[in-house]
Amino acid sequence: MPWGLLKYGLGRRYPAGPDFPARPEFKPRYDVVIIGGGGHGLATAYYLAKDWGITNVCVLEKGYLAGGNTGRNTAVIRSNYITPESVRFYKESVDLFNDLSGELGYNILYSQRGQLTLAHSDATIRTFRMRAEVGKLVGTRIEMVDRRQIREIVPCLDMDENARQPILAGLWHRDGATGRHDAVAWGYAARAAEYGVELHQRTEVTGLEVERGRIAAVETNRGRVRGGHVIQAVAGMSSVVAAMAGIRLPIRSYPLQAMVTQPVKPFLDPLVSSSGLHTYVSQSSRGELVIGGGSDPYELYSTRSTLELKESLIAHTLELFPFLANLRLMRQWAGITDMTPDYSPIMGESPVRNYWLDAGWGTWGFKATPVSGKRMAETIAREKAPEILHPFRLDRFKTFDLANEMGATAASH
Amino acid sequence: MRAGSNRLPAPAGLLVDRERPVSFAWEGARYWGLAGDTLASALAANGEWILSRSFKYHRPRGVLTMAGQDANTLVQLKGEPNVPADRLPISEDLEAWGQNYSGSLKRDRNAVLARLSRFMPVGFYYRAFYRPRGIWQAFWEPIVRRSTGLGKVDRATPHGHFDKAYGFCDLAVIGGGPAGLSTALAAAGAGAEVLLVEENPVLGGSLAYARFDAEGTLAAARREALVAEVEADPKIEVMTGAVCNGWFADNWLPVIRGNRLTKVRAKEVVLATGSIEQPAIFRNNDLPGVMQGSAAQRLIRLYGVRPGRRAVVLAGDDDGYGVALDLAEAGVEVAAVVDPRPEPAPSALTEAVAGQGIEVLAGHCVAEALAGPGNRHVRGAFVSRLDGQGGAVPGGSSIACDLLCMSTGYMPTYQLALQAGAKLGCDDAGAHFSITGLPDHLRLAGSVAGATDLEAALAEGRRAGLRAAKALGLKAGSEPEVPADKGQAGANHPWPIFPHARGKDFVDFDEDLQVKDIVNAVADGYCEIELVKRFSTVGMGPSQGRHSALATARLVARATGRSVAETGVTAARPPFTGEKLGVLAGRGFEPERLTAMHHRHLEQGAQMMTAGLWWRPAYYGTKDRREDCIREEVLAVRRNVAMIDVSTLGGLEVRGPDAAEFLNRVYTFAYAKQPLGRSRYVLMTNDAGTVIDDGVACRFRDGHFYVTATTGGVDRVYRTMLWWNAQWRLDVDIANVTAATAGVNIAGPNARAVLAPLVEGADLSAEAFPYMGLREASVAGIPARLLRVGFVGELGYEVHVPASFGEALWDRLLEAGKPHGMTPFGVEAQRVLRLEKGHIIIGQDSDAMTTPDEVDMAWAIAKKKPFFVGGRSIELRRRHPSKRKLVGFTLEGADAPLPQESNLVLRNGEMVGFVTSVTRSPTLETVIGLAYTAADEAEEGAPLRIKLTSGRMVEGRVVPPHFYDPDNQRQEM
Amino acid sequence: MKIMPCPLNGPRNISEFACSGEVAEMPEPNRTGDEDWADFIWMSNNTAGVVREWWCHVPTNYWFIAERDTVTDEILKTYPAGKVFTARRDFQGRDEGP
Repeated sequence: MPWGLLKYGLGRRYPAGPDFPARPEFKPRYDVVIIGGGGHGLATAYYLAKDWGITNVCVLEKGYLAGGNTGRNTAVIRSNYITPESVRFYKESVDLFNDLSGELGYNILYSQRGQLTLAHSDATIRTFRMRAEVGKLVGTRIEMVDRRQIREIVPCLDMDENARQPILAGLWHRDGATGRHDAVAWGYAARAAEYGVELHQRTEVTGLEVERGRIAAVETNRGRVRGGHVIQAVAGMSSVVAAMAGIRLPIRSYPLQAMVTQPVKPFLDPLVSSSGLHTYVSQSSRGELVIGGGSDPYELYSTRSTLELKESLIAHTLELFPFLANLRLMRQWAGITDMTPDYSPIMGESPVRNYWLDAGWGTWGFKATPVSGKRMAETIAREKAPEILHPFRLDRFKTFDLANEMGATAASH
Repeated sequence: MRAGSNRLPAPAGLLVDRERPVSFAWEGARYWGLAGDTLASALAANGEWILSRSFKYHRPRGVLTMAGQDANTLVQLKGEPNVPADRLPISEDLEAWGQNYSGSLKRDRNAVLARLSRFMPVGFYYRAFYRPRGIWQAFWEPIVRRSTGLGKVDRATPHGHFDKAYGFCDLAVIGGGPAGLSTALAAAGAGAEVLLVEENPVLGGSLAYARFDAEGTLAAARREALVAEVEADPKIEVMTGAVCNGWFADNWLPVIRGNRLTKVRAKEVVLATGSIEQPAIFRNNDLPGVMQGSAAQRLIRLYGVRPGRRAVVLAGDDDGYGVALDLAEAGVEVAAVVDPRPEPAPSALTEAVAGQGIEVLAGHCVAEALAGPGNRHVRGAFVSRLDGQGGAVPGGSSIACDLLCMSTGYMPTYQLALQAGAKLGCDDAGAHFSITGLPDHLRLAGSVAGATDLEAALAEGRRAGLRAAKALGLKAGSEPEVPADKGQAGANHPWPIFPHARGKDFVDFDEDLQVKDIVNAVADGYCEIELVKRFSTVGMGPSQGRHSALATARLVARATGRSVAETGVTAARPPFTGEKLGVLAGRGFEPERLTAMHHRHLEQGAQMMTAGLWWRPAYYGTKDRREDCIREEVLAVRRNVAMIDVSTLGGLEVRGPDAAEFLNRVYTFAYAKQPLGRSRYVLMTNDAGTVIDDGVACRFRDGHFYVTATTGGVDRVYRTMLWWNAQWRLDVDIANVTAATAGVNIAGPNARAVLAPLVEGADLSAEAFPYMGLREASVAGIPARLLRVGFVGELGYEVHVPASFGEALWDRLLEAGKPHGMTPFGVEAQRVLRLEKGHIIIGQDSDAMTTPDEVDMAWAIAKKKPFFVGGRSIELRRRHPSKRKLVGFTLEGADAPLPQESNLVLRNGEMVGFVTSVTRSPTLETVIGLAYTAADEAEEGAPLRIKLTSGRMVEGRVVPPHFYDPDNQRQEM
Repeated sequence: MKIMPCPLNGPRNISEFACSGEVAEMPEPNRTGDEDWADFIWMSNNTAGVVREWWCHVPTNYWFIAERDTVTDEILKTYPAGKVFTARRDFQGRDEGP
């Protein structure tokens, strides 16, 4: 029995202080202003403080902490991408996730149960083999599996050979995991706050003052803020905020919907995903089935849900698990995903000298929370993006040097 | 007594039929109820009040709303978990069980967890269980996973029958209570086609169970009159037992009834969804026997069940007095009415209660519901005086009872309105609500809009119906006056929350959250309402906040020094109630496309494969002979003659004066000077210069080309062509004739010998009909286009006919080929044949960034054209040459291993490329393939180091990809 | 399910349509430098507000233009492409040299 809880239970006095201090008034100047209080922004703040001793930092969040995509994703953590550069990058994130609870002193409910992705066509099998080979080369735990092995990994999966899209093979990624997405953000926020980072909720950035190629000031609904460096980490609003700095991005924003069933006793251990059916499913530790799929088909800045997506997503879910027909759906929601042409993020330098970008996170953002925070902190501290972020530079589009990751998500477009 | 010992005599029990007793099974024992009973009402009639065990503390739970609004009544059926017992009709074959217990429902061993609740403060799992590293996943999580969740899913559950329907109406009225009925009548009266959707088995809403007057007769009379009028109106379609489970854009409504989802498109919608009675908060407010006042009234009036023997009514509003009167009439001894208001406003109902001699304790609250053994039922109410600020004064007295009714206020059923974008507002005290910001074509009526007074609700309904009719362009009468006092005042008590030092004062029954959990979440720093929700999980259970949102907002507001309006409630999301996955999925229609020759392939023993929506023959033969069959088919083409169904390949007619100009712009090559009667390769790049499709363009006339495209690409190619021309406005017409055309490719050295005798109107000799030529002629009497193209690298003819002739063509050709032993061949053999010739398959040998240069197709780029799609980008990309190149390779030796597609090509341990196509060539008897490799190591003879799937490295050699017949003599015969 | 008022087919469920992004006029390829060309190919306005977009009614393969608010999802108007693209477009060749 954890001692803290024992002490609390026997003592009847609630643990000392709040996880987050109350919002302070603005200081005249900060070393770093972080626009966006989601997982990425908060992680960046934490690593700036911890790795680089930069603590004169403020995080500006329009709504409540992690109220954007960090609080809306389906909490999948994995590194089974296609290109070696991407796999290396996400692997670093997985490695950080492995002991993030311990590092943050905040249980993020990290559970590495493995992810099984299903192939229903020969073309998908080819892509899976690529992902397995690249993953093995980089050193992650991943392999192709056949139908017999799939039956062992997920016994309740429907393996009917006469299904319209029968399961032909699978990609088994033992490093696949889930974590409590909010807790990741809260843990980073609480520890960053301990270092002295200021958290400003309900603070909306309304403009950026650019002077001679640098950000001179950040305008907010609570007044002006000055910062030596400014970084934007505002998934769902990347283009809108970048435009304030006069920057155009190769991003189009689409809603991505997800949903959850009522809780039932455990029956599904690993995460299951199907490229062909554009569906991924996992069972949370509360017993709910968390279901996600493809992005909406047209651009929209809204988190509304639709009936038609729910219908097709659930139809595909029942193709994988027909016995769930009588399970009840409880809630659906959406986030706004910033899709890039190559399904890879945009990180590092911008045309404005002290303005840094952490954008283009599409459907691959939550899993990269630790690595993006750590490496963006490094980028700002050194005023230069490290090698590992080179494939994700904004400039890559100038020379058509895209980091092509299409085909590595079930949330395909 | 077969109906149950708590059954009331007629006329109580609107829904039940005393002539029809029904038996059913609950927890392994048999009980009797009446037709029309739900499981909950039948069990209540039999004195069985425990229906479930709560999520965390495993406390016994039972009836709370009797309306399917709570999750205290979720039971397990065979093959179906989490079924609301207060909505489930009983039947002879019903076998229901409780959920989430160990041992028995009445004596759950896990209830001991409640004793540990002091060690489980809100968010406790975030504070602990993660050291040492890995302990959460290895030890604690499995325990948590096993103890969470409610019901069980059964892998053997058969997939039931679900279906979908569409509905259209002028006006959809959601809710068949007084406001809804009156809306429907008003609109139908003006000529609108109305759909009236009601959740309960009968119309009437609160008129079916509540008491509005001292005599208790008004509701039934009103109900009877309104229902009769509605049922007689031919313009009103009624759906009872149907839930409108969400609001989606442009009035798209999912109405679920049983296992059918009806998707309704309504021009106008009126939400008359009523209000949800809210529980009061005091210690042990979750015990079986503690229920909403309206739940007790439903038991009495709808099911004819006496809800208890001796009752205490906590009445913070007038309705509670109605409950007291109903209980007394039903033979329940009403020990006291406890009213937190120091001076309840006198009304007909309060006077009637006083007139009955029922004790009223004004300015008092229930500080604690006293629990019987094992918390299995309430046995009394501990009543305390209230101080000036609404807090309980220590001390008080116990009143014995087995029924404790809570009647302290309502929340409007705001969910659908908020899903439509409306905002929920309230006054500072959080006692009067308003919904504003509705989109056009959506209105409210009744208590959901604050009209709790019956006459006001009826007037509002009528007004909403008339307004909807007017919006539809119908002639509607003048609107009625809605009284200024709609009954809001006094309907909701502003603070029916009486926290207890020893806790168990539940704010959220689903999640077992107490007052201190909410307060402590705020103290922990989670001050925004959404953070409180996510940190504490309040409102995240199956009730989705129906009974916890208001109390949470009130507590958080007080804890953060803000008003309830400022604090707000968490976002309302669909679905309104739990909806079965099967209902959402429906029957599952999947389109598929078959060629005209499909049945011939099956008859000839083909193993079929999918190519997008199409079915195509992969090879002919049994699965155990797959490799041999493919091999034999390849050799048949190389040495003799064989034929393949190519109907799925795209066919586009491009016609008009600008036809050639159009092709010039959408493809890389040049077409202006293409001779008539000749084909020319087409390669399509997108505007980023990436290769996306290919085929051939056949020029029949100056302004008429027939262009082929890949099976998987043609629909997109066609749509893209139309898009470009919408901008260029060239004088050209493009038609996608893929589905109208069937095609066969007959290939092999004997192809001419087989085909020529069937052809009339064209000379098939090599001189008359050279390679890349095309002719229009008749084949076996069928009008056809003949193309000599070279994908597989042998003498061959593609014969294209109208699709209706496809099967006949296939039969005639096979017959003509019999003397040569001609057989069909499939897609797998074709893939080998084309690989032996080094032809790429777009999408397999190319990816989302491949340029023509990377695959040696610079020859297909015309140099003199001013423009083609992709041209400018190709030019730009040539200034930043690619680091990779697609090359041919071989692995020499009879025992060379066969790499797999996607095996990596390495150099110094780094990936520089990957294998895209590979085969052990039946013709050349060596391993050949295509692979990307480093651009600076792509010359002929360079080594190509492949990492096999096993991990072993092999080294091949780069060779030109034209492995077989590099001079093309065979195909140009 | 939103309704899209197709200029040709009338109001239809939006699931019958495909959206192809913002209407933009292609700059003259042979008169545009590499940086501007790359910008045209890759960068987006991604406006939060009223946008003029390409839509296709898939069953009939009819392309048209819609003005839509990307925040409220309100479709303000739809019309044939010919209202914006009114004349035949030809492209300039590369400079022939001195």
